[in-house]
Amino acid sequence: MPLLSVNDLVMYYKTKMGYVRAVDGISFTLDRGESLGIVGESGCGKTSISMTLLRLLPENGEFQRGHVYFDDGSGPVDLIGLPEHEMRKYRWKGISMVFQAAMNSLNPVYTVGDQIMEAILNHYPDTSFDEARAKVAELFKLVGLDPKRMDQYPHQYSGGMKQRAVIALALSCDPKIIIADEPTTALDVIVQDRILKEMKRIQRKLNMGMIYISHDIAVIAEVSDKIAVMYAGKFVELADSVTIFKRPRHPYTFGLMSSFPSITGEKKKLFTIPGEPPNLLNPPPGCRFAPRCPNATKKCSEEEPNFIEIEPGHFLACWNPIKQEGERA
Amino acid sequence: MNGEYILEVRNLKKYFPADRGLFGRVRHFVHAVDEVSFEIKHGESLGLVGESGCGKTTTGKVIVKLEEPTSGELFLSGENVGKYVGPRKRDYHRKVQMIFQDPYESLNPRMTIFDIIAEPLNIHGIGNLKEREERVADLLQEVGLTPPSSFMWRYPHELSGGQRQRVAIARALVLNPTFVVADEPTSMLDVSIRTGIMDLMMELRQAHDMSYLYITHDLAVARYMCERIAVMYLGKIVEISETEELLSNPLHPYTRALLTAVPVPDPEFSRGEPEIMGSVTKPIDPPPRCRFYDRCPIRTKDCETSDHPPLVEILPGHFVACYEVEKRKQG
Repeated sequence: MPLLSVNDLVMYYKTKMGYVRAVDGISFTLDRGESLGIVGESGCGKTSISMTLLRLLPENGEFQRGHVYFDDGSGPVDLIGLPEHEMRKYRWKGISMVFQAAMNSLNPVYTVGDQIMEAILNHYPDTSFDEARAKVAELFKLVGLDPKRMDQYPHQYSGGMKQRAVIALALSCDPKIIIADEPTTALDVIVQDRILKEMKRIQRKLNMGMIYISHDIAVIAEVSDKIAVMYAGKFVELADSVTIFKRPRHPYTFGLMSSFPSITGEKKKLFTIPGEPPNLLNPPPGCRFAPRCPNATKKCSEEEPNFIEIEPGHFLACWNPIKQEGERA
Repeated sequence: MNGEYILEVRNLKKYFPADRGLFGRVRHFVHAVDEVSFEIKHGESLGLVGESGCGKTTTGKVIVKLEEPTSGELFLSGENVGKYVGPRKRDYHRKVQMIFQDPYESLNPRMTIFDIIAEPLNIHGIGNLKEREERVADLLQEVGLTPPSSFMWRYPHELSGGQRQRVAIARALVLNPTFVVADEPTSMLDVSIRTGIMDLMMELRQAHDMSYLYITHDLAVARYMCERIAVMYLGKIVEISETEELLSNPLHPYTRALLTAVPVPDPEFSRGEPEIMGSVTKPIDPPPRCRFYDRCPIRTKDCETSDHPPLVEILPGHFVACYEVEKRKQG
């Protein structure tokens, strides 16, 4: 069994106007030491996936169906079926998360060290005070912070340092999987570069599974072994990162890749995907990308394509994929 | 003054009070923009690139006169605009417009799209209602919100982010400006929407013979949009050059670090390690030496004791503010 396998996960938000289909049939697996990048535009449901995995849904978030099997070696457990007090054992210890705008997730009136100790002492009540402090010092070193800064408050930290502290917090209970939701989006490129390298290094060192969520395909390219491209609540393509970048089959993947400017390579005209992403209250029938798709046929707007494995490890949901020997250089 | 340039900025300074002592005396200043000079040719767009807090937005705001400069001069088509008052000042505001970063905040939610776009016409007393309606309809057509009649009477909350930014662009164009300051106009938008807005802005620039100051933190976007790029660090321009020259031959150590740090959308590409120390500070009463001194990998003893280096033309059209680069080029 892989470390995490997600099968047909469906979660809707209930609103006055009906259901917002934010997570609509998501399936993937994640192994130890593997990093999965989830890329998609805002509102496509990326963050909702992580909230569903951790079962941290807001009140109007309704879990519909699916399974999340977590297996740390002692046999698979379906996190979805667990009662809340059981689930708590897996949150933070099994799967932890670095939230979006993480810098604001530190409590300003406690020292950074105390906040991390709180997490450790909560999940490992047998730990002594001194052991916990030693663990925090170790975590600080791991994320590249000076352990002397443990007793300082968040406002004494720079943005990049706060981000490191939040990563230390996420690592405090030795998780098997870390979910990073746009952890560098608010940071400047030089700080972002350091955090990205740090995260990759730690993930490899601790052999964790990582789910990295971002809208920025360049960042995703740097951290991911495999990439899932998400559009309007669904995965449209999933493969190893080189395949996604060099031989994309889904027209949306291709569009996304070709609409991203780069500072390397030749300057070329960028591709524009016409139209706008659909409203998830009322997504179009058939393939949700069909109204914007250059390859769309009548079938695309009538029948929904299944997410199938077209070659080992390469999943695709498309009726008219881009030809394998495409024009793409 | 010659006629080559649409806009010239000379020794522009903008200081903000950082804190006040007893009786409100200002003791410290943030040197947001410090002795910045550049010029923009007719029909050109200049990218102003830097990290957050480097003073790029302040520079833009001073140019459109949303902020009064502490000192320095601005020339529009060769004319000094610093002393403009009354009708001439109004004329300046007509010719120089700004597009803001966040289309969710820059449009008044209580006004219809027509009112938003026509407001500048109203303020400047141009046209009657019918003419304004025609003008607004033409503009909506031009920015790709078609058919105009279906957008004109709607409210901003009914539009998506990309559509709102198109409205903001239409509003900036309604007075036929010759110069537009665009402050990160695409950074709030999704990737698939962003390219459309960037292409639209380039088309409009050609069609209306405008010039841009394009402010962005994203070098890849600047590359796509701009003929030249100026790199700003803590209130100073440290390097300015033609876009491809800057990207292929960055000379200032800050530019080099910045370029190395930009992630590349290619999983097989491996970047180097940016050579830069420490992190950004705030330019509050900065010491007179080079602003980049504390983080510079190639600093020398001379740098510590000298003033901030001037921008020197190291290669044709390629200006760098660094003593070491200058020395190495000569030696």
